[in-house]
Amino acid sequence: MKPIRLAAGLSAAFMLSATVSTVALAQAPVCSAPVKVLAQPRDGLTLLEDSKAEFQKLAGAGFQIDYLNENDRRAKSRADASTVGNYNVYYVDEANVALFASSKWIVPLADYYPADYDYADFDPGRQKVATYDGKVWFAPLTGGGDLMVYRKDVLEAAGIQPPKTLDDLIADVPKLTNADKGMYGIALRGARGSGANVWRWMPFFKAYGGKWFDGDKPAFNSEAAVKATETYLKLFKDSAPGTQTGSWDESTGAFLSGQVAILVESTPLSGMAVDPKTSQVIGKIGFLPPPSPLPGGGYGHGLAIAAKANADEASKKCAGLFIAWATSKENEKRRLDAHQFGELNRTSILSSKEFADIYGADLGQALAETGKVTAVNFWQDPRWPDLGDRWGIILEELVAGTRTDIKGGLNELEAYANELVKKK
Amino acid sequence: MARRTSLPVTFVVPTIAILLVLSMVPTLYAIVIALQNRELSSPDYSWVWLSNFGDLFLDRRFLNAVWVSVKWEVVTVGATMIVAIGLGVLMFEVASPRLRNVYCLLFIIPVLLPRVSAAFVWKFAYHPLYGIATYPYRLITGGLIFDPLSKPSTALFAVASVDVWQWGLFFAVIVLKLLETLPPQPIEAARLDHASRWQIHAFVTLPMLKAPLISLMFIKMIESLRSFDLIYVMTRGGPGVATETLDMYAFSQGFIESGKVSYASAMAVLMMIATVITFTMLWKRVQA
Repeated sequence: MKPIRLAAGLSAAFMLSATVSTVALAQAPVCSAPVKVLAQPRDGLTLLEDSKAEFQKLAGAGFQIDYLNENDRRAKSRADASTVGNYNVYYVDEANVALFASSKWIVPLADYYPADYDYADFDPGRQKVATYDGKVWFAPLTGGGDLMVYRKDVLEAAGIQPPKTLDDLIADVPKLTNADKGMYGIALRGARGSGANVWRWMPFFKAYGGKWFDGDKPAFNSEAAVKATETYLKLFKDSAPGTQTGSWDESTGAFLSGQVAILVESTPLSGMAVDPKTSQVIGKIGFLPPPSPLPGGGYGHGLAIAAKANADEASKKCAGLFIAWATSKENEKRRLDAHQFGELNRTSILSSKEFADIYGADLGQALAETGKVTAVNFWQDPRWPDLGDRWGIILEELVAGTRTDIKGGLNELEAYANELVKKK
Repeated sequence: MARRTSLPVTFVVPTIAILLVLSMVPTLYAIVIALQNRELSSPDYSWVWLSNFGDLFLDRRFLNAVWVSVKWEVVTVGATMIVAIGLGVLMFEVASPRLRNVYCLLFIIPVLLPRVSAAFVWKFAYHPLYGIATYPYRLITGGLIFDPLSKPSTALFAVASVDVWQWGLFFAVIVLKLLETLPPQPIEAARLDHASRWQIHAFVTLPMLKAPLISLMFIKMIESLRSFDLIYVMTRGGPGVATETLDMYAFSQGFIESGKVSYASAMAVLMMIATVITFTMLWKRVQA
């Protein structure tokens, strides 16, 4: 009996210890230290900070988000990723995901994004922007294309129909400007940057048939680029004050404060325009896709796992869990409840009844229409930020009037592009 | 016979050693990097020796940045010294001792503000539609728009005015305090000779303060070389490249646009050499 007792005792002890260790493993915190995130200000992230305790409970550690505006965030994350690697999670965007991925500054997300959080639920367009070289690199926080938002009252008073074509837009904008009354036909972006003035210029470039590269040969120094730049500069004559050296904030700020008649901008503007907290033009605006043949600028921003700061698997899992939780359906529902239109990315939310109840049928229809003309306008290559920023400087000089030779600027850019191609 | 002691060596050697490490290691590292072709996006690099320096002299933005930096130095140092001396003398002549203390307190506040905060405050003040600094223009012209930060001809001066607002007022307080420390006899003697107030300051007090004023000017020259934060927040070097100074362009090449850290280091090394030569020449000229 004794051996049986002993065996039974040992088995019981083994099972008990196995159960205890399983429970311990199940309860073992995924994160051993707070997740450090480098991001740019987003309402969705600010809202996320209210639920810090929830993540603490889920992962065993909190998180800390450092915010920098878009250009600074890009510069800082690039410097951090290539040197010290202080941050576990980077906020990346369509313009620099190729650079970050090819430089191995971030790791593929799919391996560390828990299946329960349903990555496939994200809008397919945003999934496409988050994919480079066949792998998914970030989970979207925002994204979309372009919409034309216009002031119904101002256009009606001027006897002008909302422009359906680019030619209509070019003809209508000067007629809508009445500087004495503080009204400007349009607002564009003048500030340098591949994600600033170049972003808004690119739809014109594409509309006139422009192409960045033909294989490894630069193809952008063309009649299309000259025409696009001439059009951009012509429209800039009626752009609201402050936009000549401004970007998204300045142009949307001018529209939302009631100084602009027509604005073609990224889709989050539409949510801001119907939000009483940010808009002074509620009830006076209409939405349409960009005038044809302007394509919308497809974009997406999101969170990616840093490679350097997450040297081991456990850190990567922790960062992956944070990203999954931050972009989860539950958190997106909170953003919908807070009327954060620009922060919605999941099809289950965008097609929900609550969404339709809050934003109405018009906006939903305009979004569906603009989805058809949304395109990737930039050069999808790690060298894009370098090339795009270079053109941004030249374009800013042209907008400011410190240079006037469009062709000379394009020749300069082509010489730079050839250098970039040689270096590859 | 004086007793030999190791006390001076004990105190001086560690301090000098720390200073040497702190100043020489980054400097030597910057020189080494400037001779290579390092980029942030790649761990690979090779030695290119003076190639980065050669490329700089063919780079129109670098040449523009040199010119903008020279203009920035001249404008900010010149205007700061004029404002400082003008206001310092004015307070000395016009204000009672109690009022002088009030002015001193007020004039010190701008320099206590962090540069980035001052830059944001003034960026908004210069806003063409809402800015308080552009309001008088809108009022006088019946609503015409003036956007000083968007015009290449005015942007540098608009940013420089913030620098002068911070440092000119602070230096005015120093000039006032220097004037108050002067012995009264030469001033009284000049008054007895019927010298006007202007003549007293032009020929008596300011020449007596030549050495401290030159020191102040040198401090401002060094400070003006480090105005990156102010320019970055207010214009980012724009419109176009109208306010792009050497440090702005180096940062832009190193971190914002291309990640060319070697190219940016070459600029920093050139800037260091030019600064050392210029300051040495100026110092010797002033000493002569």
